[in-house]
Amino acid sequence: MRARRLTGTVAGVIALALTAAGCGLSGGSDSGEATAGGCKVDKANVGSGKLSGEVKGKITFQTTNLKKDFGGFFNGVIKAFEKAHPGASVKWIDDPGDNTFTQRTVADAQACTLPDVLNVNSETATALTKAGYLLDLGVKDPDSAKPFVPAFWKSSTMKDSSGASVHTVFPWYTGGIVLTYNTDLLKKAGIDPAQPPKTIFGLFADYEKIAKSAQGKYYATMANPVWRIPADWDQMNIRTLSADGKSATFADDPRTTQWVAWMAKLYKEGAMPKDSLSSSNDPSTPYSQGKVAYGSTNPSFVRFVKQNSPSVYAKTGVGQQPFDALGHTTGAPQYISVAATSKNAPTALAFAEFLTNAENQTAWCKDPNVVIFPTTTASLDDPFFQNVTGDDPFAEARKLVAEQLKTATAYQTNLSPAVQNAIVSQVQLAMQGKKSPEQAVKDAQEKADELLKQGS
Amino acid sequence: MATQTVKPVSVPGAEPTSAPGTAPSRLRRLARALLPGPAPGANGAALYRRWWLPWLWTAPALVCAAVFGVFPFLNTVLLSFTDAKPLGGAANFVGLSNYTRMLDDSDFWLATRNSVLYALIVVPLMVLLPLMLAVLVEKKLPGIGFFRSAFYTPVLASSVVVGLSWQWLLADDGLINTWLQKAHLIRHAIPFLSDSWLILFCAMGLTLWKGLGWYMIFYLAALGNVPRELHEAAAMDGAGAIRRFWHITVPGVRQAMMLVGTLTGIGSLRVFTEIFMLGSYTGGPGGADRTLPFYIRDVGLDPLTGNAGYGSAVSVALFLLTLGLTLLAQRLTKEDES
Repeated sequence: MRARRLTGTVAGVIALALTAAGCGLSGGSDSGEATAGGCKVDKANVGSGKLSGEVKGKITFQTTNLKKDFGGFFNGVIKAFEKAHPGASVKWIDDPGDNTFTQRTVADAQACTLPDVLNVNSETATALTKAGYLLDLGVKDPDSAKPFVPAFWKSSTMKDSSGASVHTVFPWYTGGIVLTYNTDLLKKAGIDPAQPPKTIFGLFADYEKIAKSAQGKYYATMANPVWRIPADWDQMNIRTLSADGKSATFADDPRTTQWVAWMAKLYKEGAMPKDSLSSSNDPSTPYSQGKVAYGSTNPSFVRFVKQNSPSVYAKTGVGQQPFDALGHTTGAPQYISVAATSKNAPTALAFAEFLTNAENQTAWCKDPNVVIFPTTTASLDDPFFQNVTGDDPFAEARKLVAEQLKTATAYQTNLSPAVQNAIVSQVQLAMQGKKSPEQAVKDAQEKADELLKQGS
Repeated sequence: MATQTVKPVSVPGAEPTSAPGTAPSRLRRLARALLPGPAPGANGAALYRRWWLPWLWTAPALVCAAVFGVFPFLNTVLLSFTDAKPLGGAANFVGLSNYTRMLDDSDFWLATRNSVLYALIVVPLMVLLPLMLAVLVEKKLPGIGFFRSAFYTPVLASSVVVGLSWQWLLADDGLINTWLQKAHLIRHAIPFLSDSWLILFCAMGLTLWKGLGWYMIFYLAALGNVPRELHEAAAMDGAGAIRRFWHITVPGVRQAMMLVGTLTGIGSLRVFTEIFMLGSYTGGPGGADRTLPFYIRDVGLDPLTGNAGYGSAVSVALFLLTLGLTLLAQRLTKEDES
């Protein structure tokens, strides 16, 4: 009797739950209404046609963790915009940018309450574009491309749900990429610090020389391939994913297997600390201690070394990151987007353009508290970036990045954490000698394909 | 034995009762229960004893349990039959395909193996070691408070701080390898943080080290209930310390051991932080040290691209595994007792 009652209750709960699920899962929109990402929006915000309308009304602008150090700058920008557009007001929200930031942004998107103008990174912009939550800036204001470095604008595209490339982001600022190295350790290995390698495999050959000369006393770099996938492959012009981003293609290029074979060889020969294979530690700290020959590729890292380890800074050299087959550097900048759900889209678009214009980008990038670089042509032509004085490593890094940004692109392969982990795991197994490079690359592609098929 | 017939007792002042089960009686009882004011004929505390009062007092806890426990659980079960994604719009019903995928997924089975192995090794040790520790520090000796505090300190430390400290201890150039090399016991560093088996065992060690003090407190409380006279009598009969431990102490704290075993079993199947701290975000080289919660995070919890449907299916599997092992442990204990 009790068992029958229990069965009945469970069946009832499941029936109720499934009914509730049925209600919750049935989506759809009213016919005739414009929708973006499942939210009802102004018709002008979606589809083709330039966005027009008065710049007025209240909008929200969201950044991540900038108020503390740059409150004065951003309040100034907002005040200038409001002065230029009487009737418009901007409410600045500075999210702490902690590890739940992305979840909050997703929750805002699902609730159709994304801030009108928001600062997003490449991964978030990719996901929001795919789900249709961002305004197609290239369509809504075709002139908006003009201020940006052409290569940067051209490559600042995201894929929509159909796999087509759309301009849903304005490139804002970028960190740049440079090679940083301890010249003393390079010289000991017989490497000329003034002649940095031109290819990734050339860099690997230098790592090998360091491993042979160091004999375990110091290392060339860190082992975890997560720092290099897919950045190295992008630089080598290996296509990690298909054009529509729906399948993996890296195994089709024989250079991928060569790359994995190199990594396995370097790991075995002691070019990398053994315990860094799956460690989350980047080279910053061991480099500053003189234990690793090549440091982080971020120019702000040079300043970190200058401040924290003057003796190592004195030996630090800076060189161009190998351009390899791609011929230029890539670097996903920070982006500014406009929500398709904005109730005041013309005002939001105008503010996004104002914030990323040459004048404001130049002003912020000159701030001594940051080591960032602008993405507009006029900003890069500014004497601040063109006439860098001094020959210390920090000045050298500024010169190199300002130069490389004239041809750099923002095209960087975006992999979801699941796909990236699947590939990295297989490469780690190859580095440990548990799989051959060929098998690891083959398995990595299969796993990546499976995850991509399931929408990861 | 003769059965006694109990006659109905009439209460002075109470209304005459109708035959049980009849409509007027039921209506009257309902009306009496729902109407405001004290029950007619009642006195003292009984005046305010209503059927809904217990529900009223427990309502906050019940609401919390429903909102934060029952609803998320049911939601997870439902999601496991869908292809839900964080930004994918409306989810579609996909039947059992997440479960069939799970059964074919070698990574799922690897994570299950690691979780079960974790439980099988950690639970017996976590049941016995804190008990032994409690027996040691139970004695009233000068300075024993210092040792009790020292054993309890890891419980207070944050898991992340403890994880980082263990990273420094176990690194190739960390304290342990350096000492062993200086003592000429090893030539090359032991790959504590790059060998997948060693990472798993070190993570177990970390769980044990952090949990010892906590469960020691449980046992200290339980040991207070073991009659001292039993120990004294056994000692007079010539039983040694080990014999008294197995025949008096262990049976005396049996209930506490059951509780510790169940809690540790559940905790072991849910282990995440230790693996993350020692094996980083891939869960060790090649993801070989991933446990089920780690795997759920990998496949289902990424806020942008996570596969919530599949992640929920793996969560349901973890729930069933936890439930199954807990019931099995209970059954074995009952059989043992009988």
